[in-house]
Amino acid sequence: MKKISSALTLLFTGGVLFLGAALGLFLPDREYSAAERRRLAELPALSADSVGSGSFMDGAETYLQDQFPFREAFRQIKSLVATEVFGQKDVHGIYVAEGYAAKLDYPLDTASVDYAAGRFGAVYETLLKDSGCRVWLSVIPDKNQFLAPENGYPCLDFTKLVSRLSGQMPYASLIDISPYLELSDYYRTDIHWRQERLADVAAALAEAMGTKLSGTYRQKAAADSFSGVYRGQSALPMEPEKLNFLEADYLEHCRVYDYETDREIPVYDLSAAKSADPYGMFLGGSKALLRLENPDAPEDKRLILFRDSFGSSIAPLLAEGYREIILADIRYITPAALGELVDFEGRDVLFLYSEAVLNNSETIK
Amino acid sequence: MLFSSITFLYYFLPCVLAAYFIAPKRWRNAVLLGFSLFFYGWGEPRYLIFMIAAILQGYLFGRLMERYRDHARAFLAASLIFSLGLLGVCKYADFFLENLGRLTGRSLPLLKIALPIGISFYTFQILSYVIDVYRGEVPAQKSLIALGAYISMFPQLIAGPIVRYSDIRKELKDRRHTLEGAASGAVRFVCGLSKKVLFANTLGELSKLCRASGEQSVLLVWLSAVSFTLQIYFDFSGYSDMAIGLGRVFGFRFMENFRYPYIASSVTDFWRRWHISLSTWFRDYLYIPLGGNRVSRGRWIFNILAVWAATGFWHGAAWNFILWGLFYGLLLIVEKLWLGRLLEKAGPLRHVYVLLAVILGFVLFDAPGLREAAATVGALFGFGGLPAVNEISLYYLRSFGPLLVLSALGATPLPAMACKRLRGLFGGRVWEAARPAAAAVLLLVCTAFLVDGSFNPFLYFRF
Repeated sequence: MKKISSALTLLFTGGVLFLGAALGLFLPDREYSAAERRRLAELPALSADSVGSGSFMDGAETYLQDQFPFREAFRQIKSLVATEVFGQKDVHGIYVAEGYAAKLDYPLDTASVDYAAGRFGAVYETLLKDSGCRVWLSVIPDKNQFLAPENGYPCLDFTKLVSRLSGQMPYASLIDISPYLELSDYYRTDIHWRQERLADVAAALAEAMGTKLSGTYRQKAAADSFSGVYRGQSALPMEPEKLNFLEADYLEHCRVYDYETDREIPVYDLSAAKSADPYGMFLGGSKALLRLENPDAPEDKRLILFRDSFGSSIAPLLAEGYREIILADIRYITPAALGELVDFEGRDVLFLYSEAVLNNSETIK
Repeated sequence: MLFSSITFLYYFLPCVLAAYFIAPKRWRNAVLLGFSLFFYGWGEPRYLIFMIAAILQGYLFGRLMERYRDHARAFLAASLIFSLGLLGVCKYADFFLENLGRLTGRSLPLLKIALPIGISFYTFQILSYVIDVYRGEVPAQKSLIALGAYISMFPQLIAGPIVRYSDIRKELKDRRHTLEGAASGAVRFVCGLSKKVLFANTLGELSKLCRASGEQSVLLVWLSAVSFTLQIYFDFSGYSDMAIGLGRVFGFRFMENFRYPYIASSVTDFWRRWHISLSTWFRDYLYIPLGGNRVSRGRWIFNILAVWAATGFWHGAAWNFILWGLFYGLLLIVEKLWLGRLLEKAGPLRHVYVLLAVILGFVLFDAPGLREAAATVGALFGFGGLPAVNEISLYYLRSFGPLLVLSALGATPLPAMACKRLRGLFGGRVWEAARPAAAAVLLLVCTAFLVDGSFNPFLYFRF
């Protein structure tokens, strides 16, 4: 019995190692991990310099780790062991409660909020101050605000964040959208909010800025199996969900111009809904500067929307009340460059930022 | 290359195992030497030359000492100067230059040499070899390949245990490879890997999270200190288990390096259980040559402090490491003089004392500087002006609580006792049936953590 056990021990452990090596060598490399939303490492170039400096070895280690066979299955095993065996309440800072995945973002980083306020202040001073703009500020609460306290997870003080930010932006009127949001307004697997649940938020923002929206939309499905960024990052077992969008008559005539590529793009890109970044279907996703024109707008009102990715899905709803919306993401474009491209004279200006970006604002230029 | 890496487990190890067992017996040391140099060169291609030079001088002076006994002392001195000189330049030069600069008020240029991985370990192995040859306790190794294989052997090359040449001299020449030996080695390796990957790395994440938290509290500082204390045990003892297991697969028996140090009943007992290969090395090659305890009390105290300052200094070229060593030296002296007798009557309190000493010791050990160490110790006892608890510390306690409990239990002999009991069930049939599957499952789970993980440093690599 002992001999058989020893032989089996060597067979099993050796089998795992040799089989892993063989599969790793013979299976084709993958370029992209859809779950992690990143390119996987490639084998670095072998040269005397790269070996001498050790960069080949470092690169090869990353490559072998990235290209390991059944990577996704192993990542899921890891997440399950971490949560079910070790009882950890999050994986890579992502937790699942009430069927929703959210990312821990705690505590309030006052320096980050101050930095964001400083950058917004610079925009105001250089572009808005003398241009007769009316300026508003609104902060989008993270999903955590509706999920964390009830489920024993730490959650930053949203009220304090808003108050600290708005205190440093006396030139902007605060619009509180928190009362219009609840947990179900967010995707289960992703950080973002659901466009089909934002009619009341859009109406509240528009009303505060002196514009009325009809709120008449038709809900359409863009994808049935949307896997948000949290699902992929945590590798926790979660079902994909539906990705919907709202159509309206005025949207059929809207045109979107992308300054970066000097091209028109669709309001909703349905092909992107099935891509690696499905949320990119809303106004092309991460874009530095866009112009959304609505020829059917009842008044000649124009809005400049300083925003992050949350703004992409709400802007089409706000477009009903505006002839033109300029969407500026100052994580990708400097205020100086913005000044050369956009006319700010007499515009409505809304700073609409998510809690997550404000608490981690180092990317704002 | 880390043992706990995909590269090592799934590419290097299968290659070396295949080459080793395919090779005829007389070539196996050469296979080990070749793969060991590749293993070392993978992580430190530039410093391979240091290791080869160290092997060559150890071989040369060993042979010379044996052939010219009259001049053995000179050859020993030359070898010691070479080994300690290399270690001194690579590891300690900047420390001395920096402190000299502070003393003289001048800014001296630093060498800024990146510490070659494992240099402290292989230097001590070479020292033990040449000293043993000088003392006539072992004959000089005539085969350069065998000596090279001993010094560079990848299982214990970069984080120990510090294997004495005398312990494996016979195995270098002739060793038996048995099915049971290889299987028990494989199981030991997987256990060590699990200690490192499942426990040490996760505890390390907790410790890192606690330190990085923007809101500190007394509980958070304790969580950080306790998790680091557990992490370093699982990290280092896990590495030693892997080394011992791999050694067994290749037919060597390396000395045990840990024997449940956290159940020690005194600091003296702790050091009989922690990094045994290092403490016995210092005992045999420094403490006893200094006179040990067969000297006056004053000289004995000096001997203890000198040995423990050296032990601390071996761990790193910084004052906190020296103070860490001296801290233990002082505790050992106090225990020997009077506290030891008191501890015998202290019951469970003596374990509290040891754990407290160990935790405080590791705070000093891990701190970037003395000021930070003092601040952390102050914070542990409520002198840092921090709240007792905060939201994040309670969350980490809840999230990592089960792991901390499992780790604490895992650091005791309880798992070994449970395995022993399992071995006794049904004439060992349950154990024998479960062992292969359990080893393979653990290996796969470790793989899953490695594929997903990014937090994977070996703490003892820096020594």
